[in-house]
Amino acid sequence: MARKTDAPPVNITINGIDLQVPKGELIVESVKRLGLEIPIFCYHPRMKPVGMCRMCLVEVGMKQPDGSVRKMPKPQAACTLPASEGLVIFTDTEQIHKDRKGVLEFLLINHPLDCPICDRGGECPLQNNTLFYGPSTSRFVEMKRHAVKAYPLSKHVTLDLERCIQCGRCVRFTEEISGDAQLAFRHRGAEMQPVTFELEEFTSKFSGNTIEICPVGALTSSHYRFRARPWDLETAPGICTMCSNGCNVWFDRRKGKLVRINGRTNEAVNEEWTCDKGKFGTDWMNNPRRASDVKVRRGDGFSRADWAEAYAEILERFREGGHEVAGLAGPMLSNEDLYLLRRMFDETFGSSNLDHRMTSVQGPAVEPPSFTIEGLEDEKGAFVFGASLSDESPIVYLRLRKAWYRQGARICVATSRPDDADAFAAVSVRYPQGGEAEFLRSLVAELRVQLEGGRSFGELADLASTLLETRGPILATESLWNLDQAGEVLAQLRLAAELLGVSLNVMALGANGQGAEELGVRPDAFDRTGLGTRQILEACADGRIRALWLAGVDPFEAFPDRSLVQRALENVEYLVVQTALETEAAAYASVVLPITAPGESDGSFTNVERRVQAFEKAVDPPAEAKPAWRVFSELMVRAEPRTPHFSAREILAEIAREVPAFQGVEWSAARDGGVLLGARRPLSRARS
Amino acid sequence: MAIDVIRDVAKPILAGFGITGRRLKHPKVTVQYPEQTREQYPRTRWRHFLTRYESGLERCIGCSLCAGACPARCIYVEAAENTDQERYSPGERYAKRYEINMIRCIFCGYCQEACPTGAIVLRKNFELADYKRESFVYTKEMLLEEYPGQADEPYVSIYQRQS
Ligand code: SF4
Ligand code: SF4
Ligand code: SF4
Ligand code: FES
Repeated sequence: MARKTDAPPVNITINGIDLQVPKGELIVESVKRLGLEIPIFCYHPRMKPVGMCRMCLVEVGMKQPDGSVRKMPKPQAACTLPASEGLVIFTDTEQIHKDRKGVLEFLLINHPLDCPICDRGGECPLQNNTLFYGPSTSRFVEMKRHAVKAYPLSKHVTLDLERCIQCGRCVRFTEEISGDAQLAFRHRGAEMQPVTFELEEFTSKFSGNTIEICPVGALTSSHYRFRARPWDLETAPGICTMCSNGCNVWFDRRKGKLVRINGRTNEAVNEEWTCDKGKFGTDWMNNPRRASDVKVRRGDGFSRADWAEAYAEILERFREGGHEVAGLAGPMLSNEDLYLLRRMFDETFGSSNLDHRMTSVQGPAVEPPSFTIEGLEDEKGAFVFGASLSDESPIVYLRLRKAWYRQGARICVATSRPDDADAFAAVSVRYPQGGEAEFLRSLVAELRVQLEGGRSFGELADLASTLLETRGPILATESLWNLDQAGEVLAQLRLAAELLGVSLNVMALGANGQGAEELGVRPDAFDRTGLGTRQILEACADGRIRALWLAGVDPFEAFPDRSLVQRALENVEYLVVQTALETEAAAYASVVLPITAPGESDGSFTNVERRVQAFEKAVDPPAEAKPAWRVFSELMVRAEPRTPHFSAREILAEIAREVPAFQGVEWSAARDGGVLLGARRPLSRARS
Repeated sequence: MAIDVIRDVAKPILAGFGITGRRLKHPKVTVQYPEQTREQYPRTRWRHFLTRYESGLERCIGCSLCAGACPARCIYVEAAENTDQERYSPGERYAKRYEINMIRCIFCGYCQEACPTGAIVLRKNFELADYKRESFVYTKEMLLEEYPGQADEPYVSIYQRQS
């Protein structure tokens, strides 16, 4: 609950030290101002306090008019105690020490002695609190409670009921933060269990967070299970690259292999949450099918080659290829990769046939998003059009939900299918699939009517009036380019935005889709003209393009039209596949160049709100894999002597000089919290 | 300076022989190693063993506490899950891989101290020399005792075992 508050200050005393805090601040937060700590289990700063565990007991007194202090007879839970004038708190008395010991003794009565085999062991709040505040020995000789162990709540989350201390954090998370309310307590007392209703699968899209906030090893990750202990791990800060939101994460690795991803705090982006796609979706990095060698086609098969051989061959085909060569860029290429890719196409190949968009059509450029994720919290509303945010932009979804939950923002949702956001939307409207343009036309018409003081009836009228009252940003995603009438849809959305006087934000979906837009990895950027993705594939299919470069993308997976992709890859004469995995497209390749996965090299990514976030190599790449930018740089040097690039930092500095939008972006600021493009200010509230 | 033969040469030599002569009466402390070995002190710490329970199940649960305690960082543990079909240890978890790098090990016994199940023990087998570096990485197969209690038997030198 880090948001500013305008509550009047009150005077309180903690352990004899006087201080002023905003009225109503919870004492558990106030003591942090003095650098003190109160042991807690159930309290979580981002959720409402419930006072379930009683670990945070403090002694409380009131200052009397004569200056003396009258203590209350019983200790109070600091996590549910709001600050008020004259409150006197004691966190360090004999009585409190005894109380804490008592609480822990009760908690441990039913807690198994599992620490050696518990995935939480070594980073367990229960262990820590017991060590610092608990009794040193147990007096409990009776039989412990026994319950189900290692129950698979879902394919990601394993529940160990014996270890649960019934703090309710997981249950409250699904109620307050993710909003799917999938977990609930059943039974009472020692038998109380946090489980899904009817024990069905725990399908929350944010279930991984419950693992992190569970103060014991009751909820553990099925993927990480038994793979390492905390002291085996090396941890490095990173950025998730599974979608465009750019969550800050920790990469935990053991012996150079990624074994776990945890959320890292960045108040401006993901707070501390991650979605399951990001948290559990990176197993592919350890996939045995990782491309690790340079291979060139010889007859029907491949033979291993060295880089020099591959470069020579590639240059022969691509150099000065002009409109006969083309390139497609993938969503996980870093800013540095994309920048050099475009330069290589411009300068060495003399071609503008370069695109990163994998939607079914490629339209003209749209204005870049201007919302900020954090800023959504202050909006009175927002209009989500045609996007399933919980899948496509999960962190934006969480913020929107938070804006509703905390500030009562009124979110409007218009989609063709039921959506998770319906649960909290003020207005949610369905239109038939294919009817997007028509729907928007009617909406714009209704907006016009209402702006002139009239009003009709029905859903659309409610939607329009709510939009006019709240005037929040319009949020759509680039998937709208998959619609049949994409151009018209966009035009109507623009019109609506204009009428409402709000921003239209077409959010990128790929991890660095926004970066690719900013850096001009599209045929029409910087006054060039070339072919877009669909045209490139068509030109490959009928032989107009002779050499194609797939940089970190498998169009079979990414592009909606499979048969076109197949024809293109079969007919193109020469195909360079730069890939981290042995993809389907790699089977058609003339040359396969292994690239590093994100996290295996330094790089920066531009997220959906145009925040450039950099991170450094955390994991060792497989054998010969190179970062994509290095390949581009080396090829450019081979084609024409020039100074090569040596590091991602140096390239980012060059981008900051050369690309206007990136002006003033520095590596260190991009690494510590990120830099917003456009605003060009390093973030103030970021912590890592 | 002139040397006084009596004082500087003959006397010290005789004194030396005198000591030797007196010592002949004392009991002998040397043994004919390797044919003979001496009884080891009770708390001698040399070669590690991974012990078993009476039932034959492995004691080690793959918790890595030994690895965490090891000041030389020479223990590597990889855990896996027991199933009812394939059970190595009681409970959920066992050590799939367990390796100790004996060259790095300083025989401090902290691993034994840390182990919650008494699985890893240091016994008296001290004849650990070998020819190749690689052969000093003791794998789980090498460390695991063959039958329960084996690690506690009195130590017999490999030379004696041969004869
Ligand atoms: S939850 Fe914590 S205290 Fe409980 S068994 Fe696991 S490590 Fe030990
Ligand atoms: S599973 Fe964990 S988070 Fe949920 S109630 Fe139990 S201890 Fe708390
Ligand atoms: S030997 Fe003991 S301390 Fe080491 S992993 Fe096995 S059970 Fe844990
Ligand atoms: S933290 Fe206050 S009662 Fe749990």
